[in-house]
Amino acid sequence: MELLKRREAWNITYTHALGETASWFFVQIRDNARIYGRRCGKTGRVLVPPRAFSDQTLEPTTDWVEVGPGGRIETFTIVYEEFQNLPPPPYAFGYVMLDGADTAIGGFFKGVDLAEPAKAAEQLKVGTRVITKFAEQRKGDMLDFWFERG
Amino acid sequence: MALNRRIAVIGSAIMAPAAAQNQSLEELLYDIAQAAMKDAGLTADGIDGIVVASNDQFDGRAISVMAASGSVGGVDRDILSTPSASEHAFVMGVLRVASGQYETQLIVSWSPVEASSLSEAQRLGADPYFHRALPLDELSGAALQASAVLAARPEAIDLAARLSARNKANGRRAYPEAATSEAIGTKPRWPIAADMVAPPVLGAVAIVIASEDHVAKNGLKNVAWVRGMGWATEAGFLGDRDLAIAPALEEAARRAYAEAGLSDPRNELDVVELTDVSPYQELLAYEGLGLSGKQTWKDDVLSGVFDPGGSLPVNPSGGVAAINPVFCTGLIRIAEAARQVQGKAGRHQLDNAQTALGHAASGFAMMYQTVLVLGENKDGAAA
Amino acid sequence: MSAPRVGIIAIGQSAFQRRRDDASYPDLVREAVNEALIGAQLELDDIEAIVYSLSPDAMVGIGNAERLGVDAVGGRGKRFLRINTGGATGISSVAAAYYHIAAGACDVVMTAGADKVGECGDSQTVLNKIWDPTYERPLPLGTITMLAMSGIRYADKYGMSEEDMARVVVKNRLHASLNPKAHLRQEVSVDEVMASRYISWPIKLMDCCPQSSGGGAMVLASEKYIKQNRLDAVWITGVGHCSETYYLGDRMGRGFTADHADAYALKHSFDRAYKMAGITDPVKQVDVAELYAPFSNTEYHSIEAAGLADLGGAVAGVNEGRFSIGGAIPVNPSGGVLCTNAIAVTAMIRVAEIALQVSGRAGTHQVKGAKLGIASGNGGDHQFFGTMVVEA
Repeated sequence: MELLKRREAWNITYTHALGETASWFFVQIRDNARIYGRRCGKTGRVLVPPRAFSDQTLEPTTDWVEVGPGGRIETFTIVYEEFQNLPPPPYAFGYVMLDGADTAIGGFFKGVDLAEPAKAAEQLKVGTRVITKFAEQRKGDMLDFWFERG
Repeated sequence: MALNRRIAVIGSAIMAPAAAQNQSLEELLYDIAQAAMKDAGLTADGIDGIVVASNDQFDGRAISVMAASGSVGGVDRDILSTPSASEHAFVMGVLRVASGQYETQLIVSWSPVEASSLSEAQRLGADPYFHRALPLDELSGAALQASAVLAARPEAIDLAARLSARNKANGRRAYPEAATSEAIGTKPRWPIAADMVAPPVLGAVAIVIASEDHVAKNGLKNVAWVRGMGWATEAGFLGDRDLAIAPALEEAARRAYAEAGLSDPRNELDVVELTDVSPYQELLAYEGLGLSGKQTWKDDVLSGVFDPGGSLPVNPSGGVAAINPVFCTGLIRIAEAARQVQGKAGRHQLDNAQTALGHAASGFAMMYQTVLVLGENKDGAAA
Repeated sequence: MSAPRVGIIAIGQSAFQRRRDDASYPDLVREAVNEALIGAQLELDDIEAIVYSLSPDAMVGIGNAERLGVDAVGGRGKRFLRINTGGATGISSVAAAYYHIAAGACDVVMTAGADKVGECGDSQTVLNKIWDPTYERPLPLGTITMLAMSGIRYADKYGMSEEDMARVVVKNRLHASLNPKAHLRQEVSVDEVMASRYISWPIKLMDCCPQSSGGGAMVLASEKYIKQNRLDAVWITGVGHCSETYYLGDRMGRGFTADHADAYALKHSFDRAYKMAGITDPVKQVDVAELYAPFSNTEYHSIEAAGLADLGGAVAGVNEGRFSIGGAIPVNPSGGVLCTNAIAVTAMIRVAEIALQVSGRAGTHQVKGAKLGIASGNGGDHQFFGTMVVEA
């Protein structure tokens, strides 16, 4: 028998409140190209990106700490497949523990030739030192900065 | 059938409306969970498990429960979520404690207003096969139901106006800083007038429940016992239902009353917090809960039985008509009922509220119905 | 207090496929429900309450799609609610059904659901929206990249190679070839897996689960009901859940609760289920396991979290055949999530398959003499974990 199909798209936009902590963090990135974390008063851990509270201790964080721009790669991946609404491949991204931070922050890795997967992966292996680079034009979001080897 | 253990509400917190601009969702959830635990006199270390409820399309998050993991204390703890309805999180929490595997549960629900259109978010809940092409949001569902109620009882149009005025007056008394007289931004949908429905606001609610053993061990004196609990669903398609009756509510109430040992709820209850998107749903709830049938609506409403000072006050908080954090209104009703029993209801506290009913309805035209009988006295708490 | 015993009395599952254009979403749910009821000679009227198993709404493209499923499960007028813990939903739903009975609220409860992942334009686009809009969603994260990053850390910590990953695929595809309900049933070789294209380093196409359509249903009952009606049953003797931080970046660095290489909360979830079931030495006591692992590398840390190998020891175990059918503790004899993933019911199928194994009804992929089995489910961003022990 004839089997019919129907195409449906969901179309809603959201305006998410970022809150005071993330707002201050993004303003520092936008205006000063600096990255800050929040310290948990109880354990001393510096949470980057900054959170208003620690989900381990459930205590409010207490103060701002500038971190980076250097750091070490904690994990990465290199994407070779295209996904709808995600960037065109190939691209590399992952997480970096910035100097002075205790948690890792996500970002793209640039400046590595991704043509040969195994070779590229060697350049980005866990423990590799990287430096944070900032875009000239910054909007105050997570894509204003990325990481390069160095 | 009875539950194996007695369970009580030992603490709660309601934030509605919450300030929408200065917090992220995670920060709001942290605050509401901390407030409820403080009210219950414990910290996250005293919480054995967590049940949350949220709506992905309202939140703009594909698995919205994920936001609760760290913020309400879920790290290294156990979380379930019931996205069908906020009140289902309470049901699940009670069942978990009654199973004997847990002594306490934290129950959290929230409802943001960050979507470009909540109406559109609700419309995505209409199936793509037969109903998506219709403008079917929750207000439309409520309007279709109101129309059916009106067809059955033409006098409902006047009763609805009276109930609406009373609920808004109750809301202004209970939450003067929060209750709004502002009508929803959209056009009314006949027969629901625009001023009968409050605009959606950001809200969150959290409740802590505990076993009888926990209550005894910690010497807790002021708790609200879960005396009876019932929940049921209507059919999925509106066209399969008679919208002028509420059989799922009758079933939920039957079970809750049986467990609580109530044979004459209208006289045995001291206060009712019910969920009513429109006052027509409130009339329907009176019938489903066995408080007043269609024949007696007129006499009972006009004589003020359910008004402040009446023999069975309904929605002293003002209910959904006053403050409308859409997704979590059901769990807020249960929290309001528990707070009445505990004497913590604030400005709208009733004298001697020993037995309270919390009613929640969710989905198009009150599809899911849940009834909780909460009491100062634990008789019937495990039926 | 000790909980009353709860048994599994009926199981239904679709023969999973990429698309099911012949069946609507509720049709798929009904298909699994019918199979469960007919197999156990039950009627819908016997069911007192329903736990509806459904993960993200966006995956089926219907908001609160459980409402559309009410009639498919015969829910009208009954106690009904939906559970969602992402990929763990299915096992969380079985647990929720378990609680209904252990609480004394019901004697007979059904959990059911279905998914049509193949109808969603791109599941990774939907799954990117599971992250918080503030910090992690702006990255091109999806479940594949998230678990590729786990694999990178696991490889760095314990020395897993790409060939080691491929051997998990080879094992599970061989198992799936014996299971008529599995979606990907064609055997593959290490060379074929290695030759498949990179999706997200180190994950290649064949290291990934498929997008499957199909349904699942299970009926649980109290011991009293099972005895009164002289039913065959297997017993749920352990139930555990545990979750961890939302933020991937908090599972690395210093002072973390969980390392993203491993599955810390899964281990804690198993600890809880084992304690309840009285299991002290899983290597000796567990006969068979169905562990949620949608990508080849994640089966390793799941085996370790289940206590079936030491940390880092699962790789050698797979290479030696310990976890193959015929080995000491077969893991994923059904072919597992790697061969079938209809997200809403995937973790339920893990429990269902274990129930079939310990009742001796697993057919061509039966593990001989299996009497005690374990199942797990993972959801969110490797964040919610559910586990279960099932015994004959």
